[in-house]
Amino acid sequence: MADVILQAKNLVKRFPAGRSGSFVNAVNGVDLTIRRGEVLGMVGESGSGKSTIGRTILRLTNPTEGQISFDGKDITKLADKAVRPLRKDMQMVFQDPWSALNPRMKIGDLIAEPLRIHLNMSRSECRDRTEMLARRVGLSTNFLNRTPSALSGGQLQRVCIARAIATNPKLIVLDEPTSSLDLSVRAGILELLQELRAKTEAGFLFISHDLGTIKLISDRIAVLYLGRIVEEVPKYKLFSEPSHPYSQSLLSAHLPSDPNVPLQRMALQGEIPSPINPPSGCSFHTRCPVAVAECKRIQPLPEKISADHLARCLRLKDGKNIIPRDQK
Amino acid sequence: MNSTHSDQVSLATRIGNRLRGISRLSPTATAGVIIIFLFGILALFSDLFMTHDPVSSYPDRILQAPSAQHWFGTDGNGMDVFSRVIYGAKFGFGIAIPAVIIAVIIGVPVGLVAGYRGGILDEVLMRIFDGLRVFPSIILALAVVAATGQSLINVVLVLGFLDSPVFARLVRAEVLALRSSIFVESAVAVGNPTWRILFLHLLPNSIQGAMAQTAVRAAWAVRISATLAFLGVGIQAPTPEWGAMIRQGAEFMVTGQWWVAIFPGLALIFLVFGLNLFGDGIQDILDPRRRASK
Amino acid sequence: MSLLSVKDLQTHFIFHDIDNQLREARALNKINLSLDAGQILGIVGETGAGKSLTAQSICGLLRPPARIVGGSVVFDGRELLTLPEEELNNIRGADIAMVVQNPRSSLDPLTRIGEQLVRIHQTHTSGPLDGSRQKAMEMMQAVGIPDPQRRFTAWPHELSGGMAQRVLIAMALMNEPKLLIADEPTTGLDVTVQAQILDLLKELVARFDMASMIITHDLGIVAHYCDQVAVMFAGEIVEQGTLRDVFLQPAHPYTQQLLASTPERLKLGAETPLGGQPPDLFNLPVGCLSQDRCPLATDICRTSPPMVNLSIDHSARCHFANPNNKTAKSKGKKNG
Repeated sequence: MADVILQAKNLVKRFPAGRSGSFVNAVNGVDLTIRRGEVLGMVGESGSGKSTIGRTILRLTNPTEGQISFDGKDITKLADKAVRPLRKDMQMVFQDPWSALNPRMKIGDLIAEPLRIHLNMSRSECRDRTEMLARRVGLSTNFLNRTPSALSGGQLQRVCIARAIATNPKLIVLDEPTSSLDLSVRAGILELLQELRAKTEAGFLFISHDLGTIKLISDRIAVLYLGRIVEEVPKYKLFSEPSHPYSQSLLSAHLPSDPNVPLQRMALQGEIPSPINPPSGCSFHTRCPVAVAECKRIQPLPEKISADHLARCLRLKDGKNIIPRDQK
Repeated sequence: MNSTHSDQVSLATRIGNRLRGISRLSPTATAGVIIIFLFGILALFSDLFMTHDPVSSYPDRILQAPSAQHWFGTDGNGMDVFSRVIYGAKFGFGIAIPAVIIAVIIGVPVGLVAGYRGGILDEVLMRIFDGLRVFPSIILALAVVAATGQSLINVVLVLGFLDSPVFARLVRAEVLALRSSIFVESAVAVGNPTWRILFLHLLPNSIQGAMAQTAVRAAWAVRISATLAFLGVGIQAPTPEWGAMIRQGAEFMVTGQWWVAIFPGLALIFLVFGLNLFGDGIQDILDPRRRASK
Repeated sequence: MSLLSVKDLQTHFIFHDIDNQLREARALNKINLSLDAGQILGIVGETGAGKSLTAQSICGLLRPPARIVGGSVVFDGRELLTLPEEELNNIRGADIAMVVQNPRSSLDPLTRIGEQLVRIHQTHTSGPLDGSRQKAMEMMQAVGIPDPQRRFTAWPHELSGGMAQRVLIAMALMNEPKLLIADEPTTGLDVTVQAQILDLLKELVARFDMASMIITHDLGIVAHYCDQVAVMFAGEIVEQGTLRDVFLQPAHPYTQQLLASTPERLKLGAETPLGGQPPDLFNLPVGCLSQDRCPLATDICRTSPPMVNLSIDHSARCHFANPNNKTAKSKGKKNG
């Protein structure tokens, strides 16, 4: 498939947890495909492993198991030195713009950094391109000589985006890029991202815990729970026909800002189990309103509901995966 | 509601304001600055202040008590103590500053690399540096200077080398904290090679603690070099260095000629005190947790 | 008479900067609020609007350089701003209780949670320890902590985020407060846990007939858990009223923009109602504080806008206060 920019197969990532010999099972067998020109949204709560997946596919951290192939090349076992030149084509935008930028570097230098590292540009070429990038992300060139402390959160995130697109990468991972920003600022950043994706052929991975934001920007959505993708679906179908019970409860927990929209809460019991000790079988069974005995024993495999829609749920077979509406 | 920062305010006023602002933040630092500044003036412009030639002896005026002609009296060789004390300020700075520079040049890169790389390299480097620190510095300095020859340069080099562990530790501690921070991860994500991460990203952000220590370490260098000279190592008479002067003067304390040792001693104490005050005060300013709440 | 009546509360930041210049910021400007038992007031705004500062000013928890420079806070018939610290201490934790975000940093890491509940009860009563322990168990049950007997001896670090927040709520309720202030009580919690906590708060407020204030930046929370709303910007309340009035008929351009910026209403690619940066509190513009970012701003906005009464319970501080003004559809200025 010529238009697949990133493919991950059976990705597993475990971190040692303390000295007791136990592990945090952050990612538990994830298959991922990102195509050029599309935005894959990944949504999940704490412990879902979404940030870890983002970092792992960029080789910022090494997978425990599994295979990652970028632009057709297997990069799973590449040495760090070999990965470095590839970073020209794969970039990341982090959640907290205040901590993502060296507080002692000038904005202009920060944006120019990928240019200096990967493209052998002369100083004046660099300067020109930096100014062009600043304009492209809607940042006044007056800021190029300032340090990050002089800019607001929204402006800083624009700097981070400029840095990420500087070398025209083929893959951009955005890890909660608007979660630390105020509501009125988020809109501007999302607008910018929308413009950029229209103009580049890059593939995007957009990670967020906020369904509302994911809905705006994604083409396809993957819902994560405790390190596994429980549902993968084109955007509109998630909101009209969510299949997995977790997706349904996630949707129902979202609070709309219109007081007239009634809440249809599916009150989930308990909290997300710790990734150090994930439940047996289907990891959602401890909180699932429609779980049955076998959910405790069997880990459901991804089932195709339609060509582009899959979900991991044992109750799909008998159609009992939909949580009844009156359950509050 | 707030005062305006008009461009018409003269430079002198602005400096005055900034100083007042700093003295609000830390009276300690201000006091330190004043003392260091005074000694600095003495060292730079000693010619203006000395009443006599510091190395000329007046054989007919040996061991004279402080008088109108010799404000701090004369020493066992008939030299004017006052002028020698003033001149001695040159050694205070002349040793302390290069020694600290050397310590920084050695210690900071070691701290950077050890902190970032970790692992075996870190362990080995830190054990070496720990060893250095544990060793009583006077003895080590004595041994090294005696072995390499008693010259001022050797003293400076030895002191610089001995002090580098302090800076290495400080920088390493900051780097350990910073290396998992997001901006470093972002720098890696952008594709920075290790040397850029060390020198463009980590160094500027991990150096504040070390820089704050320079004044305190300078105080240490002044003290140690005076001690070495006192022990007869590194500086030879009749060089007007405070430690050497105290050594000579120590003999005369018993016979009541206190001025030979006391004045260089006081000068030493004040300079070291000033440097320590400044170093302490700077840390007050840099580390908000140390600041007393108003 | 209202349980809580805040009139013209004014809080400034005052200090000398490194150039020894006196700097003063008008962090809260003439805040007016009133609250009765059983009401839930939502204070909503973005970062730096002054929401937490309002709560801290009411409780007397300000630290220098913040200082109350004017106004009055009357709680249960008493003026809090002139009360000596001792008496204020009797009221705090007892009649007025606060629940904050980041529950784990509010709990003493070296004391078991049961003891912390007992401690806060003992501070305000002279009753026997046993009575406090009993009450602590009841409260833990009331906030939905499973197996309270066992959890009584738990350490704070053993608790999950949601559990810790429940403990914090239990602590707040130990002394049956008349006023409960919740400052971003669910920020940082997972969405599914957030729902549980908010439902719990709503139920407890009704059960104990408390007055309650929820401070948040999340409009969804306000929309479904509050009955009164105050929208804050740059230290001022720019619009306040009943929930339905403010959220369904917003009259202030800022409120309209804020509502239009929520993900469910945003349409990317269309003319977005963008904001700008909040003004520098040390350098406030003359007149309306939103004038630099408001699409409706004209010359008259250089004079301070009056608080316009749109109905008995609904007011907005704007020269053009009107639910039908065209903010949402006009071109917004590029935001920061």
